This record gives sequence, C-alpha cells and structure tokens, in this order.
Amino acid sequence: MTPLLLSVLIVLALYGVYIAAISARHEARPADFLDGGQALPGWAPMFLLPALGAAGLGLGPHLALVTRFGLQASHLAVGFVLVAMAALLLWNRMWYVARIAGLSTPGEALGQFYDSVTLRVTMLALAVLFALPFSANLLSSAAQLLERATDGLLPRAAGVWVLAMSLAIPAIIGGWRATIMTLAMQAVLLALFLPGSTILAEILAAAPGFPAVPIPVEEGVLWDRLPGVIQYSAGIGKEMPVAGIFTTVALSSSTIALLGIVFSPATLYLGQTASPGRAVGISTVWLAAGLLTGILVLGAPLLATRMADGPVALAAQFYAFEPLAGVGLIIMLLVGAMLAVTFFVTGGAILVTRELVIRYLFPDMSEREKRFSARVAIGFMFFFLAFMASFLPLMSAILGSVALPLAVQLLPAFLGLTFLRWISRGAVLAGMTLGMLIVFFTEPPGLILFEGLFVNLPWGRWPLTIHSAAWGLVINMAVVLLASAATLRAPDNLQRNRLHDALFQATGMTVGGRGLFWALMLLWGFLAYGPGAVLGNTFFSHPIFTSGEAALGIPSLWVWQILFWLLGVVLVWWIGFRVGFGRTSEEGIRTIELEEGTRRPPDWLAAGLSRVNGRER
Amino acid sequence: MKPYDRLDRHALVMAIWTPSAFVAAILLHRGLASGGGWWIFAGFVAIIAAFVAHVIANAVLGAGFTTGERALGIAAFAIAVLSLLLAVLVGPAGLGARIFLPVGLGLISLVAVVIAYLVITFGARAAFERFDVIRDNNARPASRLPHRGGRR
Repeated sequence: MTPLLLSVLIVLALYGVYIAAISARHEARPADFLDGGQALPGWAPMFLLPALGAAGLGLGPHLALVTRFGLQASHLAVGFVLVAMAALLLWNRMWYVARIAGLSTPGEALGQFYDSVTLRVTMLALAVLFALPFSANLLSSAAQLLERATDGLLPRAAGVWVLAMSLAIPAIIGGWRATIMTLAMQAVLLALFLPGSTILAEILAAAPGFPAVPIPVEEGVLWDRLPGVIQYSAGIGKEMPVAGIFTTVALSSSTIALLGIVFSPATLYLGQTASPGRAVGISTVWLAAGLLTGILVLGAPLLATRMADGPVALAAQFYAFEPLAGVGLIIMLLVGAMLAVTFFVTGGAILVTRELVIRYLFPDMSEREKRFSARVAIGFMFFFLAFMASFLPLMSAILGSVALPLAVQLLPAFLGLTFLRWISRGAVLAGMTLGMLIVFFTEPPGLILFEGLFVNLPWGRWPLTIHSAAWGLVINMAVVLLASAATLRAPDNLQRNRLHDALFQATGMTVGGRGLFWALMLLWGFLAYGPGAVLGNTFFSHPIFTSGEAALGIPSLWVWQILFWLLGVVLVWWIGFRVGFGRTSEEGIRTIELEEGTRRPPDWLAAGLSRVNGRER
Repeated sequence: MKPYDRLDRHALVMAIWTPSAFVAAILLHRGLASGGGWWIFAGFVAIIAAFVAHVIANAVLGAGFTTGERALGIAAFAIAVLSLLLAVLVGPAGLGARIFLPVGLGLISLVAVVIAYLVITFGARAAFERFDVIRDNNARPASRLPHRGGRR
C-alpha cells in the first residue's frame, strides 16, 4: 500500500501548491494574503465548516470511542446540531460586526467592543493554543497512522516533518484564500469517503455487523443504551464509571465542549472573511446539521464495528479488494486531521501577525511587508508545530486537551458582543477567568501540575462525568449574570449600545421574542442529549404504553438518535431560513466607528513592546 | 466581474472534480480489473454526478464551461473511447468482451447527459446551432443578412 498511499499524498500536496500558486498570481492587493480581501467565496467556508466540526470531534478518536463504548459514544454526534446552530448565530453576527464596525478579527472585535486588552491577549493565546498543542496532537496522531499504514517505512517523527512541510508550503505561497479553497476540496473528499467507506465495509464484510449483531464492547459496558443521567464518579483517572462514561450529562457537557470549535479564533475569522450570501445557512443547516450529523449518527456505528481491529486492518482488507479503496480509507482519516492542522496553524499565524505584529510591534508596515511578515509567521508556526508534534507529543496531547473547553469560556463575551448588550466588561473578565481556571483544574494540565507540585486532588478529569467545559461555563455564566446585573448602568454601555443598534438596523433580527422556537429548542435539547435522552434506551423497544415488546431489529437508542437528529435539522432550518440568520447581506449596513479604547495596555506589556519595536511608550 | 471571481470558480470546479475523480477511479478500476459491470456503472454515476455539480456551480455563479474545460472534457472522452477500442482490438483475450458493454453504455450515457444539458440550457435549436459549422463557413458579410440565411 505504501507507494500508492505516498503517491496520493503527493498529489494532494501538489493540489495545494497549484491552488496556492494561482491564488498568489491573482492576488489583487498584497494585504489580501491575510484575509482574502474579506471576500472568500461563499462555497469554501460552506464546505469547510462541517469538516471543521468533524475535526473538533476527531474522526479517528470518535470511531475508536464508538468501538469501545457503542451507541452511547455515537450519541455525541447528535450534539452537532447544537454546534451548527451556534455557528449559524455567531457567524451571522460576527460577519455583520466586521462590516459595520470594521472589527475584522475576533480579537479586535472583543477587544474594542469591551475596551479590553485582556480579551485581545486571551484571543491571541487561544489562537496559539489551537495552532500549536491542539494541532500538534492531531498531526502526531496522523503521522502515527501513516507509520502504521506504511509498515514503519515512514517513522512517526519523519512523517510529522513531511506532512508539516507539505502543508506549510501552500499556506506560505497562497495565504488565507488559497488555504481555505484547498481545505474546502478536502472537506468534499471527506464527505464522499466517509459514507463511501462505510458502504464498502458492509459490502466486503464476511459476517453480519451492526445492527444485526451488537457492537463488540468490553464486558460491562452498555453498548446499546446510555448509562444513566449522571454517575457519581470522581472522574477519569480516579475511578472509571461503570457501564460507560457517556451519561446524559456527559453527553450534554461534551456537546458544550464541541462548541469550542465555533468559538476558536480561526473559525470566527473564517466567518468574518466570507462573502455575503446564503452560504452560512446552507452550510450550517444542510451540511453540518443535516449531512455531517446524519453520516455520523447513521454511519459511525457501522464503520466502527468493522474497524474493531483498527483502521489499518480495515484498510488492508479494502486494499486486497481494490488498492485505491484501501488508500482512500487511510487518506480519509489523514485528511480529517490534516485539514484541521492546516486551518488552525495558518489561521493562528495570520491572527498573530494581525493582532501582535501589525497592531503592536510594527504598525507602520506597508502591505507588502504585512504579507511578508504573515509568511514568516506561517513558516515559524509550522516549524514549532512540527517540533512539538515530533518531540513533545505527550505535552501536546496534554495541553491540546484544554483548547476546546477554554474556547467555550468565551461564550458570554460573544453573547455580549452579538446579542445581549447588558453583559459588561467586568462581568465577562471575571466569569472568563474563573471559568478558565476551573477548566484548567478539571483537565490533565491542571491536574498533573497540581498533583505533581502539591497534593493529590480528590477529583479527576470530568468529575461526575461532566465535561470540564460545562463545569467552567456554569460558574462563568453565574458570575457574568450576577456581575452584569450590578453593572447595568456602567459608563461603557454607550459604546455597546451603538454597535447593537447598528446591528439591529442592518439585520432587523433578534433571537428574543420567539417563544415557540425557544420552547421547542429547550424541549429538543432536553430529550436529544439532556437528561431526557435516557428515555431513548427503551422507548421504541419496550413502549411505555404497552406491556409487550416491539421487535424493531435495531436498538431503540439508535432510532431515538435518528429521530432527534431529524427534528434538530428542522430547528436549525427554522432559525436559519425562517428567522433569517442563514443569510448575510451588505444592504442596510450603516458603518460606525467605535472609539479607540481609553484603556492602555498594562505597563509590563507596554514596556516589553517598546523594547522590541524601539519606540517610546 | 470582481478580481477573484475567475479564481474562485476555478477552485470550486477543482474541488468538485478532484474528489469525484478519485471516487470514480476507485470504482472504474475495480470494475475494469474484476469485470464487474455494476462497479463500472457506479464509476460513471460518479462522473455524471460531478458533471451535474459542475453545471449547478456554473448556474449559481452565472458562468458557462470555459474553453479549457470543454477541450479537456472532449480530449478525455476521446481518450476513453480510443482506449476502449484498443482494449477490444489488441487487449488480452476476454477483456474486450467483459468490459465492452458496460464501458460503452457508460460512455453513451455521458454523451446523453451532455446532450440533455445542452438542450435544457440552450434549447434544441440553439444547441444544434452551436455545432452547425457548415452554416457558419461563408465568410462574405452578405451571408449574415437574415434573408440570406445568416444568423449572426
């Protein structure tokens, strides 16, 4: 398989170089390298967003979890409907924020809206967190798969550097637009190969698989039902919950963690740099909530059952049948990781260039110099990525684990920016700080650090089977609500009101006052992945209105998942196309200029900057 | 036309055809290697689906097929027909008999889809006139007059 696999990888790399080269030749202005002229073709983010969602979940790890825990792990895919809805609401508003107030990066938007340097620095740190440890972990896993698929011919460390080089060169040549267009093609590849591999695995199978036979999980794990609403476990690492970890609170809190992919700086930047149109609606409603969730809900249990011996074993089976199909399966898993790596590293490097180099270090650069500095930043970022992935894989995995839950802690800040004008700066900062601390100490980095330095903590990862993102967000929101109530008449609300008034003028839309929608949404959430989801364990196999059993032939929970996936698509369609969040337009936009912040950067930061750029403070 | 329109359309077309061509290659290779007619049929379905997606992209972006795309399409089709004929005439014994019908039908279905596209897009008469070079070969200006049969 090795020669063919490497050949296909080379073709993919050449594709990236080709798109980058023609993109560079067509570049209208050098500064477009950084943001695609804020007019990325609608189709590119449209294809890319669902694939990023899949990358946030982790295609390979998700299939491995389904193999290990059965349908309870597969239930996580239903949460993609919520991810799609969050992306729809946030992308729409962030796009308008960029056009109305000229706040063209997420850090700039939060920083200027709240007049806070801390929020700018936080966004920058998150961009780096996604670009380095999070992506390094993905790249390391991809290289490990490549090592196994090539029978050790390409060792993991070498694979890391080869893959990083092949991803870096197109990004350095073509910039943001070329990267997004190349990744969009890879997203289409994923969309074709994921169901294709599932169908082929079923065709080639010698014996019947799921749902005719149970998913082969370990003894004691419930493969076809959720193990309750909550389990009073101290957390992973301290004790393993019986019957599986995916209780309904684990599912709902993990869904909240998945939202982190939407709040990641690069993903928001993608939404801000897209062209106006209906692409955001089509992407979130039909491709993310519809297609991707459907493929995962329907296909993951089937494919995971066939992948019980690992993806390379299944690829070898495919290869014996048709060589290109075997290679296609490996390519699908590799692309799932490489796509996210390219996106977060390129996006992160561009944001670092805009938010740090151009804004603070060298604000007088010409457009050509800005483009050059972005190229240098991308190069360095890919170098550090490869360094971390090849030499520090464990540290990358540990640090990468907090990227998504930390990003979720920005939810109140973005709610304030886009919908709830009464959320104040102090409230956001206090809530975010506490939320991030809680996340840190319920995930491996904090636990390892604290237990290594001091004493053993009584809890492990995700205590009570609740994901760290939810632990942090609950405290975060509580603080934000209380603090905002106390600062309703704060002097900075004038600036916030100006932006919100302009937003309403441009869109004419609010999410308030839609009682039926929100009632249905809460009911759907409660039953789809909230505590009510346990009803799905037996709802269709042992109906509550009769003492008899229904011979469905498939697990009741699977039917429940399919049903609530379809109902969820209707809800996202409602908010996207009935309410109108699925469309962006330049009509009716009245540009405003938010006042430059009165707050100056902290002295230590200003002193550090003045040493670097040689200017007086 | 905005500065990036041509580039964006080209990248979209590439994003449609590259994964589809990969899938079609898998299916056709399997079909040709094993003689499975259904695999060959599925391969041609993948090609037709990509063509339909290309047409939809053209319609959404308000564009048509470029000269390069038309040339590439015709060249690829000609090579496919030639390969089929060579396989039948000089290929290993039994290969031609095994693949002639499914591949031939697949190629005919491609032609049918293209004709259907032309008729739907331009109408039967205008679609025919796009190939009607005989009516176009009179260089005299008078031939362009309507009552002389000219249509330009």
